[in-house]
Amino acid sequence: MSKVKCDHCHLEFSDSVMIHDGEYRFCCNGCRGIFHLLKDEGLESFYSKMGDTTLAPPTEQFEASSNFDTPAFHERFVTLDKEGLSQVSLVIEGIHCAACVWLNEKALHKMDGVIEANINYTNNKARITWDANALKLSAIIDMIRAIGYNAFPYDASFQEVRANKERKEYYLRMAVATFAAMNMMWIAVAQYAGYFTGITQDIKTILNIAEWFLATPVLFYSGWVFYRGAYYGLRNRAVTMDLLVVTGSSLAYLYSIYITVFEKGEAYFDSVAMIITFVLFGKFLEVLSRKNAADTLDVMSKHIPSEVTIIEGETVRDVNVNEVKVGDIIRIRSGERCAIDGVVMSGEGNFDESNLTGESEPIFKRPSDVIISGTTSIDALLTYKATKDFAHSTLSNLVNLLENALSHKPNIEKLANRLSQHFSSTILFLAIGTFWFWYFWPHSFDRSLMVGISVIIIACPCALALATPVATLVGLALGAKRGILFKSAAQIETMAKASMVVLDKTGTITQGRPEVVYATIHEIFNPHILYSLTKASKHPISRGVAEYLERTDETVAQILLEDVHEIPARGVVARLDGKMIVGGNALLMRDSTIEIESASDKSLFYYAVDGVLAATYELRDLPKEKALESINALKKFGLRVVMLTGDHERAAKRVADEVGIDEVHAHLSPEQKAAFIEMAHTEGHVVVMAGDGVNDLLALARADIGISMGSGSDIAIEVSDVVLLNDSLTSLAEAFAISRRTYGLIKQNLGISLVYNSITIPLAMMGYVIPLIAAISMSFSSLLVVGNSMRSRWMYK
Amino acid sequence: MDSWVVAMMLGASLVLGATALAAFLWGIKNGQFDDEKKMMSQVHFDDEKELNDLADQQKKREALKKKEYKPE
Repeated sequence: MSKVKCDHCHLEFSDSVMIHDGEYRFCCNGCRGIFHLLKDEGLESFYSKMGDTTLAPPTEQFEASSNFDTPAFHERFVTLDKEGLSQVSLVIEGIHCAACVWLNEKALHKMDGVIEANINYTNNKARITWDANALKLSAIIDMIRAIGYNAFPYDASFQEVRANKERKEYYLRMAVATFAAMNMMWIAVAQYAGYFTGITQDIKTILNIAEWFLATPVLFYSGWVFYRGAYYGLRNRAVTMDLLVVTGSSLAYLYSIYITVFEKGEAYFDSVAMIITFVLFGKFLEVLSRKNAADTLDVMSKHIPSEVTIIEGETVRDVNVNEVKVGDIIRIRSGERCAIDGVVMSGEGNFDESNLTGESEPIFKRPSDVIISGTTSIDALLTYKATKDFAHSTLSNLVNLLENALSHKPNIEKLANRLSQHFSSTILFLAIGTFWFWYFWPHSFDRSLMVGISVIIIACPCALALATPVATLVGLALGAKRGILFKSAAQIETMAKASMVVLDKTGTITQGRPEVVYATIHEIFNPHILYSLTKASKHPISRGVAEYLERTDETVAQILLEDVHEIPARGVVARLDGKMIVGGNALLMRDSTIEIESASDKSLFYYAVDGVLAATYELRDLPKEKALESINALKKFGLRVVMLTGDHERAAKRVADEVGIDEVHAHLSPEQKAAFIEMAHTEGHVVVMAGDGVNDLLALARADIGISMGSGSDIAIEVSDVVLLNDSLTSLAEAFAISRRTYGLIKQNLGISLVYNSITIPLAMMGYVIPLIAAISMSFSSLLVVGNSMRSRWMYK
Repeated sequence: MDSWVVAMMLGASLVLGATALAAFLWGIKNGQFDDEKKMMSQVHFDDEKELNDLADQQKKREALKKKEYKPE
């Protein structure tokens, strides 16, 4: 049968299954609806713009768009601009091609009240400006959904906006500086040629004036950041690299103007432009790789529900979390996250507390049990009484503690910063000394001033400014290739200085889910039945057994069981052909009066058919692959390796022995983990912490470097400084190797530029430096540093 | 060759270059380079209709400013 394209999504299906609609063919009603909508709106040119791309057929069943009109939503996501128009940032889902961007923008622009809709094709983020008096946000969302896409709000935080603005500003400054510097090089070629072969004074003046014209915006517009930096440095009584750049380039600029006006000697305008351009480039690289600490808190607050359902007598209503008082009755349904601490009144069910404890076992709660905010109901439908208001609940406390920890993050002073301070003051001192020496030699004031300035210019930190950013950029690239994301370049250096590494157990050293390590078969049984039984539960133990069955027997398949039900904290019970099938823990076996061996401390899964025990599975959370080798590698780096866990002593000890960790601290709460890191700090350690769960958050934030696993919770990823995308401990060891190598490279680069300076500065002090030599020296030293960094990139494969 | 020729040519080429730079800066400020993917592909859909659409949006905004704008 021939295949036909759906007229909306362009996917191919056989003609018989298509919906026929006149001359058109559609794969589903969703596609047909969108097609007609676009036609009615006059947007059918979308299909010609789309070209050969195919779309995903639209999916139905979205959450109600009325959520977007609640005050709580508006408070969090909607901002007002200067003209009183509402603005919201959305992530649009389902954008495949440029035509999709076009369609969304067009469709929104056609709506009355929408003033501007701007969709970023690269990251699918949209910024929509609309008049709230004329149009509800839900109508906008409905429109996006109607044309086959979906939209989620996101918090365009203040920091993000500011970081983008700063980056843009740097682009502008760099564009000006690069333009001027490049044009100046052409003019300089004429000047140098004239210097060696002779040039008339009037031509020389013309060239000087042209350079003057070009150097002015470079110094005062592009170089403005250095003036600002130097000013703040001076206010803190520090001689910074910025001050050196500013003095050098300003003096050279003034001197060159003097030369130009009085028509004698050589002007240094090209050096001014070059210094600013090179150093600005180094600074820009730093800005690019800087991280905004405050961004993380936005993500954290996104995980706090903004509304809860409270029950007052007969009425049920949704209220803002801040309005909940102690004693209010709150209803929680399955899948909801608790925002407020309390005690269960009625109902029961399982809760996922892995957020706070890190242990994956669900906790069963019944009346009078305590509910902790931040935990999620798995299947529980219950009401509970608030024992604390929102501000005092565990979740808010955690946010506050985190905020505190992030703002007090230890800051290790960077090698380059420390060096540049001494460097800057030494050079300034040498330059002034040189000037006086020449002046009393005796030489003319002009000549002595020129020699003094040439010392600053030749020493000017082009290579020094590039040394660190270029090296760290190489480090970032090396890491990225291996699935190690350093969020900020500065972290590489801190990590290289680390003396202690703290590891969380569950999910970091171990795989975070139980696996069958030992199976005992008592009676022959049908594995399909057991497989179907274990598949009925989402409990990690059941899942572990199911995975084991899949692994050992590829043919295993699900069959239909009758009366399947899960008994919380026990296991699963079902019926097949009149036989009773039970699978679960020792308690369940005892309840069903099945004889088992005496209980052990291991996690055991029993399976019984018709009251006869058929199999026993022993499960354990196993260490990850190559854990032992990786930990040994860490030890070889001279690091003190410590394991922290919320789990009990015995389980912790066993894992530690397996992977070769000697120092173990078990049974720790999230606060105690953080306190442990704090203690290590007072002992003078630079601490790297690796973890994956919300229970590690505080510790991750406290540590000098927090490393999270790519599969960990999003908040942990946000708080941490380094993310290991492939979750393996091997990359942890590799991250250390890369950071140390990069730090070595930084040292090499700084060394190169210092050695370079120690050769050229004496030359300058003796008065041998003409503008040509200054220019060549600057470019050559920068090339050396960049080349050295590239060499490292090629060598480390 | 008189030196004023050099001056004139230098001046003219710098003015030309500066014009291009000004256009580039305007583009950056306007956010035209913020989205590298869109920048490259949206060119295909750039015709008269798009220009009219943009003008309509501008009108909407201005109408709103004058408080004359009434959504039907």
